[in-house]
Amino acid sequence: MSCENPTTDTDALMPRRKKYDKSRTCVKCKENVGNIVVRHAVYCRACFVPLMTFRFRRSLEPFVNAKPDGPRRTALKPLGHLTIGFSGGLGSSVLLNLIHRCYVSPDPALLNQDGGKDHPSKDPVWRKVFVCYVETCDAIPGTKDRTEEIRNLVQGLNGVEFIPLRIQDAFDISWWRKISPKNLPFIPTDASVQSPSSALQAYLGSLPTSTALATTVGMLTRVLLQYTAFQTGSSHLVLGTSLTSLAVSLISSISQGGGFHVKEEAQEEWFPYPVAFAQGQVKSVRIIRPLRDVSTKECAVWAWWARLDVIGREQWEWPGTKPGLGRLTKDFIRGLEKDYPSTVSAIVRTCAKLAPKGETSGRCMLCERPAQAGVQEWKARIAIRSWKEPAHSNTPPSVASADALAPYLCYVCHTTLTSRGTRALPSLFASISTGHTPAVPTWTSSRVTQLHSAAAAQDSFLDVETDEPVVVSRRKMGQEELRQALNGFILED
Amino acid sequence: MSSINVKIEFGGGLELLFSNQRSHRVSIPAKVPLSSKPEDAEKSPEDKPADITYLMYWLRDNLLKEREELFIENGSVRPGILVLVNDTDWELEGEGEYAIQEGDEIVFISTLHGG
Repeated sequence: MSCENPTTDTDALMPRRKKYDKSRTCVKCKENVGNIVVRHAVYCRACFVPLMTFRFRRSLEPFVNAKPDGPRRTALKPLGHLTIGFSGGLGSSVLLNLIHRCYVSPDPALLNQDGGKDHPSKDPVWRKVFVCYVETCDAIPGTKDRTEEIRNLVQGLNGVEFIPLRIQDAFDISWWRKISPKNLPFIPTDASVQSPSSALQAYLGSLPTSTALATTVGMLTRVLLQYTAFQTGSSHLVLGTSLTSLAVSLISSISQGGGFHVKEEAQEEWFPYPVAFAQGQVKSVRIIRPLRDVSTKECAVWAWWARLDVIGREQWEWPGTKPGLGRLTKDFIRGLEKDYPSTVSAIVRTCAKLAPKGETSGRCMLCERPAQAGVQEWKARIAIRSWKEPAHSNTPPSVASADALAPYLCYVCHTTLTSRGTRALPSLFASISTGHTPAVPTWTSSRVTQLHSAAAAQDSFLDVETDEPVVVSRRKMGQEELRQALNGFILED
Repeated sequence: MSSINVKIEFGGGLELLFSNQRSHRVSIPAKVPLSSKPEDAEKSPEDKPADITYLMYWLRDNLLKEREELFIENGSVRPGILVLVNDTDWELEGEGEYAIQEGDEIVFISTLHGG
């Protein structure tokens, strides 16, 4: 087909390029007229349902058993229960629907009725299924509390148990005491902060950029879900991150220095420190994103055809600031998905092939992900941070504040807490004063307590692999010596 | 001037921009100016059958209550909004150039609230 001159022949405009290959007939059954275009391939509604179900199960089931499946598929026998991280958004609504129809209340429309492995058996795969929701309205001013709306939605499903959390639980000592082993020592920090909400707002109010705020809220939510999943005896935590959302989080994370965590962004195996936590059969939680091969468009079509009630998540911008990196990345990826849909899949597949360089040096005290060795040395080489020579010390931080934790943070968390924008930010929480050092999440305080316990014993050191104190010899500390070591942590009466 | 009756549905939170009402029955002209943008309509004497692009501007001018930029961007629906025509992806029907028929059901679904 040649291009004519459009100025003389107005009908000779180049025809719009089709968004699909070949014809409008379904590429799978080759009989029905297609209903949806998925990355240039056309599917009818009847073939779309099993396609979506297959992709979901392919991303989840090989990782259900303690030892991930090889070429031969075995029966699904997880070590523990299942926790679903539910945000109310599109992806997690679709995930909840698929989990419920595949494993809790098997729907023959999704599973092969001819029998075999796909036949809904009498024994459920998961003994218990929990749906955990973290309310973030106290972190983001002006947003609505949707806990009751989500509770009503989840309670409409049989066979699942609802666990509501609030993001300020990350700073709630009573929450930490509930989920941590009884004999685990813990000294709370920052006596001046009275309530978890105040501690949360003080922490968020001290962040330097809107990017840092979004990253921190996401991090706190994820770690809360991880600890809750472990506490419920769940061996698996599933999140509703779609292919599109995963591409956004990968690019956004990498742009903030999170290249070392590129594998963890897709899937990870997490266990809490210290070893005292691992007293039951479940020693770790496998965090899986079963919709990572399913685009947002496919999720939307599934939700529409299944008549799902999607409550949604509010979009929020810090007033008076530029959009953060997460928002900019999301807009970029959405534009790509509209015009070049295969590129989104290419981003995720390429990131899956990456193997970060460098060694791991323990675990970040904030985000609980592997910390790359040499972060502080690298930062010292590339920028002047202080006119004074940095003090090198093996002594743990005397105050578990964000500033003092620098040597124990990964690159992303350090950058999140210390990067500076080009202009001063308006105050996020007017009622919170910024004079004192903000508290840190309870799991971070717990790690600091362990470090102090090890240092106070003086003759012990921390195991490099597990961060567990290894006692070489013991001696009794005097009361005054112990009080001085823990002085900064003791609450006023 | 003849008109055609169309059923419009909003999903995924998009209904919040349209009086929080998910379902609407509207009546639009069967023939519309060649340029779907109302601001350019007077300059184009020729007409064409009403299409999705025209419907989009019609909805903006007659039903949309707030935040136009969350619905329309650069002459089309904002990226992240999925359009179904009679349960079929509008990419299979010619996108904005699909000529609307009497009794069609057009669905606009927002995918902007993530995972």
